[in-house]
Amino acid sequence: MPSTNFKDELLAEIRNLRAFAISLSGSVSLADDLVQESLLRAWSNSEKFQPGTSLRAWLFTILRNIYYSNYRKRSREVQDSDGLYARRLTVPGDQESHLDLEDFREAMTKLPAEQREVLTLIGASGLSYEEAAVVCQVGIGTIKSRLSRARRKLVEILQLDEAPETPGEPKVRRAG
Amino acid sequence: MNATRTKKVEPLDTAAPDPKSVEAIGRALEKHYASLIEAPLPDKFVELLARLEREHVPPTPGSPDALD
Repeated sequence: MPSTNFKDELLAEIRNLRAFAISLSGSVSLADDLVQESLLRAWSNSEKFQPGTSLRAWLFTILRNIYYSNYRKRSREVQDSDGLYARRLTVPGDQESHLDLEDFREAMTKLPAEQREVLTLIGASGLSYEEAAVVCQVGIGTIKSRLSRARRKLVEILQLDEAPETPGEPKVRRAG
Repeated sequence: MNATRTKKVEPLDTAAPDPKSVEAIGRALEKHYASLIEAPLPDKFVELLARLEREHVPPTPGSPDALD
């Protein structure tokens, strides 16, 4: 039986797990199902987790495997009917950024899933290249390659390379 | 080693866009992800873990490998 400590560690990862699930599936409702199933599976297989390794990477691996085994097709259907993902979750943010967040989200949905996940793992979830390679079950070279493609694709979609100039300093986020 | 784990061989291609674009993407990605992290969390996940602990749900023998 998993320890209370393990439960607390899982609790601490739920938000990250859910954010990754939303990024991966493009749907909040699917993401919640995915997180639920991943937590159950993690709990049942807690003895397979190796202490000292990244619990986050382990959970992401579980969730990703469930997604590609059972959810990917559903995900496309839901995305088609839902439209843009994560809109329901939008929290008031700073509107000053020169790269509009809504545009960015839309651009992310246009990336192939394998590029979107790598970009998310490395650029947002805080995983190392090595951990991302384990999660995605590919080599580190492939991770780097997908990351580059993802960035180039976003630059293309968002037409960043056509901007006349990049504003110097980003606006400082307003306090509160 | 890599070839045994990848289903298809992808050409390695790591040319990066210009640094300012990479930076802009990085910032937008962080903001986007932060909005997901900060979003209200349904209670059901915390409740699920509490229930599993309360009911002493043991590791399931013969359950599918977590990493399969």
